[in-house]
This record gives sequence, C-alpha cells and structure tokens, in this order.
Amino acid sequence: MNTKKAVLAVAGTGVLAGVVGLGVLAIPAGADEPPPVLPQISADQLVDSVANAKIPALAGKVSASENLGLPIKLLDGIGSASVWSDGQNRFRATLPGKSSEKTFVEDGGTLWTWDSQKNTVTKFAHGDKAVEPGKLAGKDPATIGKEALTWVRQYSDVKVDGTARVAKRPAYELVVTPKPTERTLLREIRVAVDSETRLPLRLQVLANGQSDPALKLEFTELNVGPQDAKLFQFTPPQGATVKEATKGDHQPKDPAEARKGFQDMISGLNLKTVGDGWDTTLVAKLPGDLNSLAGKAQEHANGQGGFGGGRGKDFDVTSLLKSFGKEVSGPWGTGYVFSTKVATALVTTDGRVAVGAVPEQVLTEAIGQVK
Amino acid sequence: MTAQVMPGPVRAPIGRLLRSELRWIYRRPRTLILLGLLALYPILFGIGTQLVDAPVRANGDQSIVAAVAGNALMLPVIVLSTTMIFFLPLGTTMTASDALAGEASHGTLRGLLLAPVSRVRLLAIKAFGVAVVSAAAALMTSLIAFVTGLVIAGPGSLVSISGTTLPVGEGLWRVLLATGWVIVQMWAVGAIALAVSASTEHPLLVLASVIGGLFVFGLLSTIPVLDWMHPFLITESWDSIVDVLRDPILSENLVTGLLRAVCYIVIGYSLALARMITKDS
Repeated sequence: MNTKKAVLAVAGTGVLAGVVGLGVLAIPAGADEPPPVLPQISADQLVDSVANAKIPALAGKVSASENLGLPIKLLDGIGSASVWSDGQNRFRATLPGKSSEKTFVEDGGTLWTWDSQKNTVTKFAHGDKAVEPGKLAGKDPATIGKEALTWVRQYSDVKVDGTARVAKRPAYELVVTPKPTERTLLREIRVAVDSETRLPLRLQVLANGQSDPALKLEFTELNVGPQDAKLFQFTPPQGATVKEATKGDHQPKDPAEARKGFQDMISGLNLKTVGDGWDTTLVAKLPGDLNSLAGKAQEHANGQGGFGGGRGKDFDVTSLLKSFGKEVSGPWGTGYVFSTKVATALVTTDGRVAVGAVPEQVLTEAIGQVK
Repeated sequence: MTAQVMPGPVRAPIGRLLRSELRWIYRRPRTLILLGLLALYPILFGIGTQLVDAPVRANGDQSIVAAVAGNALMLPVIVLSTTMIFFLPLGTTMTASDALAGEASHGTLRGLLLAPVSRVRLLAIKAFGVAVVSAAAALMTSLIAFVTGLVIAGPGSLVSISGTTLPVGEGLWRVLLATGWVIVQMWAVGAIALAVSASTEHPLLVLASVIGGLFVFGLLSTIPVLDWMHPFLITESWDSIVDVLRDPILSENLVTGLLRAVCYIVIGYSLALARMITKDS
C-alpha cells in the first residue's frame, strides 16, 4: 500500500506542477524590475548624444499601442513588428499578419517590399545614394539637435527624469513637459533613450487626465550585435508578381508643374497655423460649404457613369457629422467638434476646419481668424 | 493480450509488451481507415488547389488555397494546421478511448489489472501506444503533403511567407519542426483523453468529452471577455503553427505553445496515474 501512496503523491504533485506551469505561462513576461542606476547626465548632453548616435547592428521587436479614446482601436490587429539593422544602413523589417507577412528589405541599393497576401514584390532601386542620416540639409546632426532643443525649450521644460528598463536594457527617461502657460491636451512626452547605444527605445505620449499613455511605441526586445548578412538580401520568389517602382513614379514628369499644382491646392485650402508651441492649431478653409462639397464629390464620382447626377442631394453630410461629433455654435458660426484624448478637430458648416492638440476652446478662438 | 499469458513470477520484457500493444492498435480497422483518410487528404488538398479558378480575390489578396497552390512549403503546414483541429485529435482520442475505457467495456481490463504487470507500467504501455499512433499519423500526413507539394509545384517553390526561397533541406527541416510541434500538441490531447479513459467504462464518453472539449475551447477563445482564460486553453497557440513559415522563424508563440502542451501532458498523465492506481480490479 505504501507504493500506492507514493504514486498518488507523485500524481498529485504532477497535477499541481502542471496547473502552476499553465499559470506561469499566462502571466505576461517582464515583471517590474527596479530602475537601473546610471551615471547622471544633463538633458543637453543626452539630446546631443542621441543626435550623434549611429544605428548599430541590431535585431529587435517593436510594438505600438494607442489609447486615444476613439470608438475603434486604430492599431488593433497589428502584431509586433520585427526589425533588423546591420549597422551599415541596411535594414529589414517584417510586419506579421495572422497567416501572412509584409517584409521590407533595404539592401543598400534597392528597397524591396514583399506582401505575402498579394504575392507581390515591389522593387525600388534608388541607387547607392541611400539616405545618409549623417547629413540632413547640409547640417551636422549635433547642430540640428541643438537647434531643435532650443526651439522646444521656448514652450516646454526638458529634463532627464530618472531611468527605466525597456526591452531589458537600461535607459534614460527624457521628458518634455509643456510650460504651464501652454494650453494643450497633452501632459508630457517621454522618450526612453538606451544608455549604451543612445537609440530611442520607447516613445510615450501622455494626455491630461489619463494614466495610460495615449500613444506608445516601444522596443519589446532588442539585441545589439552582428546580424546574418542574408537578412539584408532579397530575391523575388518564383511565381510572385514583381513591380518595379522608380523615382519617376513618385512624382509627375515636370517638377515645376508638380510644385505649382501642390501650391494651388494649398492656397485653395487657405491652410495656415494659428498660435505657436503646443497651442499650434492648423486651420483651413475648404472651397465651399460642407453640403455643396459633398455634392461636388458625388457628382464627380457619378459623372463618369453619365447618370445619377442628383444623388449628391440625398447624401446629407450634416447628419453624418452629427452622429460622430458634438454640435457647437458661437459668434464664429456653427460646427461640429470631434475630440480624442490627444487632439480635437472642429468643422464648421460653412467649410472651415481647425485641428490641434488643444481643447475645444482654443479651436473656437482660432477658427474665428479664418475668413 | 499477451501480457495475460506470461508465467507468474517472470517480469514481462517491456519491448514485447510495447510491440503487442502496437499490434493490437494497428490491427483495428478504424485505426487503418483513419490513417488511410489522413494519407489521402494532403494529396486531394494538393490536387484541389490546382483546380481553383479564381486564385486572386477582387481586392487583390490571394486566397489561402491559391497561396498553397504554388508553394511546396505551405502545403504541408496548412495540411497540418487543418488536420490538427479535428482529424489528428480524433485519431489520438480514439486510440486512448480504446486503450482503457474500451478494454473496460469488453471486460478485458480486469485481466490486465490482475496480470503481473504493475499498473504504472500498464499505463506507460497504453500511453506509449497512444503517443506512437498520433506521432505516426502526423508524420505520415506531413511527409505525404511535402512530397505532394514538391511534385506539384517543384523544388523551387519552397517560399516562406517572408518571401524567401528555401533550399529543399531547409524546407524539409521546417516541415519536420512543424510536425514535431503538432505531435507534442497531440500528445497533450492524448494525455487528457487517457485520463478520461481511465475514469470511465464507456469509450464513446472519452471521444465525446475530448473532441467536444476541443470545440468548446475553440469557442471560448473567440470570446473577448474571457481573455484571462485564454492562456489556459491548449488550442490558444494552435494558430501560431504558421510561424514556422516565417523567415527567420518567429519562435516566441511556438515555444509558449510547446510549454503549454507539456503542462497538459503532465496534468493528463498525473490524473490518469491517480485514477489507475485507485481503480478496483
């Protein structure tokens, strides 16, 4: 009978171990670790070192999440992307889907894009003049970093706020907080900078009255070290459709003409900014009021068919806007406000638009300046 | 059973017991019919993909069937992922239900329990039988699918979903990896089935509860409110079998799925052991 008891004890332990094992698997990895102790650094030094940093050879996983308070989650269904770099301006990134994948390979002379769902390869040969991060607009990165910091400091406080551990790597937390005089929905922007490579490891945008970041982009895994050279090569597989994209496809033949068209569009919209710093509001005047605009769009869509020109009238933009936004009115007119945790948009019935990371009141002030 | 006719004091050699158990299983017509169907399935699937008229949907996306059509790497993995949700668990559970509940319903289990074979050993032999059947079924299915794919689409068509073309050796390695992973998942199903089998005399009850349980798991995993429960469901990581098709392989979910299956195996065999040892002979 002793063996029976012993066997039962083993069986009991086995059940317990199995259940505990399942429980451990259910707990997300990465329990809270104490923040690392790192040598002190000033915000200027940190920004300077980030601007001068070169992307080393690495392999990592990046994930993005948002909590904007929209009825639908924008980033839902996007798994974590994997990224690789060989330290010499060759990159690879994959965006996994449920049973598909999008792959991007920059091999130094050609940018390859692969979509497994469409079985299509896009080849963009840009020559060996790949983007050199070292020289942007003829300035060295340290100068750009300094100028940007000076500009940001006009409206915000920039400081190094302790340390953090991101993807198991020790990092400095650089925090940009709007000055108290700034009227914005945002509370602060936090950037975690890797203490060794000075790569930004995490970006968090925090809004007022919200403890979870409204927007978060972070490395969940990062290994710095040499990578397999094969990762940075791509050969289109058998049976795939290969599309060649050249620089010409991205812009019209005559650059001057293109610029003029773009300028016409912008001036037609009367696009301008009101306010500065965190209060900056983008305002525009659409050509015509809302309902006539929708009517035009409908006519244009139907025009090719040659019939059904009257359908534009059936399409009531106002009721659509009412269902999404809140109706407001003031001395400036009547309009609809759409708010998220980080930004607000105002559209008036006579076709004026204002957008900014500001509360509604700032938008109504700004929209009064649009004629 | 041969174990029954062993002379009293002499311990039956384990190899002979195992061989006898396997002979017993592979002589059952239902086992052979199921294996036959599993062997035909990848061939029919492979031919079927060649007969699809509209390989590309209106939105420009390929249907999964069209993606398989020209890809010798995709065929075995898709065949595995479709069989692992029904046919492979069915075969595994059927064998497990015959192993103990079936013998109990025929009255032959009593003889085995009285025979000079310890109950732990008896359970080990039964577990071995179940494990061999599920492993052989999965391996046979995936290898037939791999060969079918090579014949239909040619050796240049081992394309990962990351767009890289793999050499035949690497492709075979990926298929074997996927097969091994599926086999461990089936062993987990078999362990639970054997535990149920040890506690009942009705083989149909084993089949109904395990196959029904898998369906319920599948249903539960689609209910977002129950997301705290999802990591405990064995079916939770079964979708990640496609990760072997990525280049490089995305191992995170596969490893979690493997460990989850191991937990189920430990729980299943512990329960089966407890039931066997306390069973009245």
